Amino acid sequence: MHRTVPSLPLAPSVKVKLINAGFQVASDLTDMRPLQLCKEAGISQEEAVEVLQMLRDDGQPHQQRAATESLTALDLLHQEQAQGSIVTFCSALDDTLGGGVSVGKTTEICGAPGVGKTQLCMQLAVDVQIPVCFGGLGGKALYIDTEGSFLVQRVADMANAAVQHCTLLAEDTEQRQALEELTVEKILSNLFLVRCHDYVELLAEVYLLPDFLSEHPEVRLVVIDSIAFPFRHDFEDLSQRTRLLNGLAQQLIQLATQHSIAVVLTNQMTTRVSNGQSKLVPALGESWGHAATQRLILHWEGLRRLASLYKSPSQMEATIQYQITVQGFRDSPDEPRPVPDVSAVSSQSGNHSKRPRMEDLS
Amino acid sequence: MKGVMVILREGICPGINEEFIKALQSEDIKTVEDFVSCNLEELAQKCSLSYKALVAVRRVLLAQYTAFPVSGGDLYEELLSSTAILSTGNPSLDKLLDSGLYTGEITELTGSPGSGKTQVCFSVAVNISHQLKKTVLYIDTKGGMCANRLLQMLQTKTPNMEEQMEALQKIKVFRVFDVFSLLACLQHLRSNGLQKASVGGGSVKALIVDSVSAVLSSLLGGKQNEGMSLLMQVSGELKMIAKDFNIAVLVTNHVTRDGNGHLKAGLGQSWSHVPRTRVLLQRVEEAETSSIRTATLTKSSRQACHLVEEFDLCHWSEERRTSISGKRKLEERSKP
Repeated sequence: MHRTVPSLPLAPSVKVKLINAGFQVASDLTDMRPLQLCKEAGISQEEAVEVLQMLRDDGQPHQQRAATESLTALDLLHQEQAQGSIVTFCSALDDTLGGGVSVGKTTEICGAPGVGKTQLCMQLAVDVQIPVCFGGLGGKALYIDTEGSFLVQRVADMANAAVQHCTLLAEDTEQRQALEELTVEKILSNLFLVRCHDYVELLAEVYLLPDFLSEHPEVRLVVIDSIAFPFRHDFEDLSQRTRLLNGLAQQLIQLATQHSIAVVLTNQMTTRVSNGQSKLVPALGESWGHAATQRLILHWEGLRRLASLYKSPSQMEATIQYQITVQGFRDSPDEPRPVPDVSAVSSQSGNHSKRPRMEDLS
Repeated sequence: MKGVMVILREGICPGINEEFIKALQSEDIKTVEDFVSCNLEELAQKCSLSYKALVAVRRVLLAQYTAFPVSGGDLYEELLSSTAILSTGNPSLDKLLDSGLYTGEITELTGSPGSGKTQVCFSVAVNISHQLKKTVLYIDTKGGMCANRLLQMLQTKTPNMEEQMEALQKIKVFRVFDVFSLLACLQHLRSNGLQKASVGGGSVKALIVDSVSAVLSSLLGGKQNEGMSLLMQVSGELKMIAKDFNIAVLVTNHVTRDGNGHLKAGLGQSWSHVPRTRVLLQRVEEAETSSIRTATLTKSSRQACHLVEEFDLCHWSEERRTSISGKRKLEERSKP
C-alpha cells in the first residue's frame, strides 16, 4: 500500500500522533496490533482499532478500485449511450439539453419567482416515470421540498396529462400493456416526498441519501426545491455557507454518478450591483456557480418565458421559449421549434429512440 | 535527508537487530535522524554497544538516506532532453502558453462558471490523444466529463471511425469526488499506476484534473485545521508526478469575487504558488457568437503577464507544425 499517512481519511489529531511516532506510509501500520499501535503512537485504544479497521477496509479490492479504477473514454461513451435522460415535454428545451435532463449529472435551475422552476421540477418528477417502451426511464423520484411549494393536485394534473399523452401514442402491445399499469395513482405512489425545514435537515437528508438510494434502486431523479431557501435566510457566516454548499455539491455529484440518477436543484435570483448597474444573477454566490454540472436560467422577457442554457459540458448555449399550461410544462406555440445546428449541438444517439411527438393537446 | 522520520526497525540495515533497537529506545532514539545526529561516543558508553558497530551503522544509514547533489549543467542537459511541449491544438492558446503545455510543470486554468474551462480541457485531451497519439489521464471531480462531447470533437477532426475509437481509448478517466480519493488516486498513479495506464505504445504525457478546487474549497477556512495540509499534499503529489514522469499537468480552478467585485482565482494565496502558469478565461460580452472567449495570462515564468488572446471554442483549429520537440524548441527561444 503506497498511501502516505497524512493522506488517510482519519481525524487530524490521530494523524499528528502517528506521524510524530514516525509512521510514514500506510504499510508501516498494517502489521501492527492495536495495543502496540496504542503504545507507540500514544493514541487511545478505540482510535487504534479505528485506524486499523480503516486500513483493512481500504485494502479491500472493492474500495481500492473505486479510487484507482479508470475507464477509457470509449467505455464511458457506451455507458452514456445506455443511460437515458428525462424529457421535459418541451421539445425545444429537450433539444437544448441534448435529449432532456441527463442522468449522472447535477442540473441547476435558476429563476426569478413565478417563472416556473417548481413547475418544471414537478413535471420532471412525473416524466421520470414514463415507461421505457415509451422512451422514458421508468424510474421513481425523490422530491426534497424546502420551501413548501409542492402541490399534490398540480402533480396529479400533470400525471393525468402525461398518461393521456402516452395513451394517444400507444402503438404496439408492449406499450399498451405498460399503459395499463400507468395510472395517476401509480405515478403519485412512486414519488417520494421529504419536507426539510432548515439547512441542518437538508444536510442530514443528503447524508442519508446513499442508504435510501441503495434501498430503492429504481429512483432515477432527486429534486431539491429549493437549495437556496434554507441557506439564504438566517445564515450569518457566509464563508461557512460557501463551504457547506461546496461539500453538499460534491456529495450530490458523487450520488449522481454512483447511483446513476439525475439531480435537479433550484436556485433563486439575487441582484448584483456593479458599476452603477444592477443585474439579476443566481443566488448563493460566485463559487456556487461552479458546483452544478449544468445550469439553466429561466427568465421573463415581457410576457414570454425563456429558458437559457448557461453552462453545460456537452451542449451549446441556447435560449428557447416555453410555456406553462394546464397540462404542465410545454413548448410555446408562438415560436417555431428551433432547428438544431448539427455541428454545434450534440444529439444523443441513445438506444432508446425518441418517441414521435404529438402536436400539442390543448 | 529524505525520510528523516523513518523509524529504526530491525532489518533496515545490517547490524541493527532487536536488542540494538531496544538499547537505543532506552536512550530515546527512535528515528534515523535521532541516531545520525547524536553523539556516538556517549551513546556507546550509555548503551554498552560497540563504538565501531555504531559508526558502521551510521555510515550505512547516511548512504541510504542522503540526497545526492547534482550539478547545474547535468540538470540542464537532463531538462533539455526530457522536456516536451504539448500543443493544445489552438494556435492562440499556444501563443499564450509559449508553444503549449510544458511537461514537468503544472498549468492552471481559472474562470467563471461557463467560461469554458472544461471545454478547453476536452480540446486539449482530444488533441493529445488524436494528434500526438499519447495517453491522457483525466481526473474528473465534478461529473463534467462527457464522452459524447469528446466524440463530437473527434468527429470534426477525422471522419474515420477507427481513428476516433483509438483516440477515445487513449483518454483514461478517473472519477473521484473528495480529497482523500483524489490523494489515493494520485498516489496510486505515482507508485505503479502510470506504467499500467500507458496504452498501446502511447506513453502518458498529460494529466488533467478538472477541477482541483471542487474537492479542496470546502476544507479551507473556518476552524478547520486540515485543509491547508491536504492542499499541500495534493500539490506535492501533482508536482512529483509532473517531474518524475515528465508529464504536463493541467488543472482547473474556480474564481471568487473579492471585496471590490474583481475576479480572483480560488484556493487562496497558498495555492497560487503551485502552478507555474495561470490562465484566466472569460466570456466576451458583445461577441457575435457566444463561443468566443479570451484567455489572459496571469502568471508565467516565460512571458510577460497580462497577455490576452482571443479564441473560439467551436473552431479549435488544428496545429500544423510538429508539436512534440525537446531541444529545438528551447534553442529557438534562446536566440535573441
